[in-house]
Amino acid sequence: MGNMSEIRKKRPQLSEIKKENPFGTPDNYFDDFSARLHARLEAEKKVVPTKQSRIIRFIKPAIGLAASFALVALLVYWPVKMYLSTEIADNNIQPYSYEEEFSSMVVESIDENSFFTLLGEQEDGIEFSEEDLMSYVSSNISEYEFYTETYK
Amino acid sequence: MNNDDRVLIANLKREDKRDLAFNQLVTKYQERLYWHIRKIVISHDDADDILQNTFIKIWKSIGGFREESSLYTWLYRIATNESLTFINSNKKKHFVQMNETSELLMNNLISDPYFEGDKIQLKLQEAILQLPEKQRLVFNMKYFDDLKYNEMSSILETSVGALKASYHHATKKIEEYLKNSE
Repeated sequence: MGNMSEIRKKRPQLSEIKKENPFGTPDNYFDDFSARLHARLEAEKKVVPTKQSRIIRFIKPAIGLAASFALVALLVYWPVKMYLSTEIADNNIQPYSYEEEFSSMVVESIDENSFFTLLGEQEDGIEFSEEDLMSYVSSNISEYEFYTETYK
Repeated sequence: MNNDDRVLIANLKREDKRDLAFNQLVTKYQERLYWHIRKIVISHDDADDILQNTFIKIWKSIGGFREESSLYTWLYRIATNESLTFINSNKKKHFVQMNETSELLMNNLISDPYFEGDKIQLKLQEAILQLPEKQRLVFNMKYFDDLKYNEMSSILETSVGALKASYHHATKKIEEYLKNSE
């Protein structure tokens, strides 16, 4: 199907029809198209994350942090626990009370005469309570003397 | 490829000039692409959607354009594929058989508020819609757009010989339809 005369000969009905575009568009369609396309491109760039992805994005760092803490705890806790239990078993460390140490220190710091006098007074029926003894020590022994006696 | 298009492509591939170059591309090719799409899908609203999709696709894939064909051929190819994808997805949506596509498009033609042709031009459009999809494409591109066979070959990825045969059959069927509808 080459030139127009050939078309007219072989396709007479078709050749009678105007070769014009019969379709139309709304007014100013092409003038507005660029702006609408631009708006759509901008909208596509700002895609809002779905609710599910938002939740995952929120939880992810928290899970990561929790996992890190768990790992650190595991790496530190177990070795320390193992070490401490071994240490106590080896040294047979017995806990002691402060009062017991203080009482024994008081007795050691009092001279013999005072001690026996105290004992004698007790034999005479006079009884000294622990509070009396504590009161005596605190008024007769300075803090410095107490410290040096304790850490001899 | 002409020099203007070469410069346009080069600018499209540059971050700092891309936006301006894209606006120039749209202004230069929007009408030609629109009419090509419109002839395939008939409805203005559908053509508008597809034209936007076409340019968005162009925007996203300009970096991969290898310049083996001319810019216009490449744009035309994208527009054609988008139009055919639209028609195929419509078929699935409406559970339409392959041979019933023309009925859908015929309804679009009859109800088109923007059709400005006379009765005989309407008849021609009806005749065109009777053609198989490939023949319809070839006929529109040759008859209305006056594209060369080698350009069409690049766009439709079909040999020149096959295209010539397609056009010959298309014009024959249209002639018969017009004769029979007198």
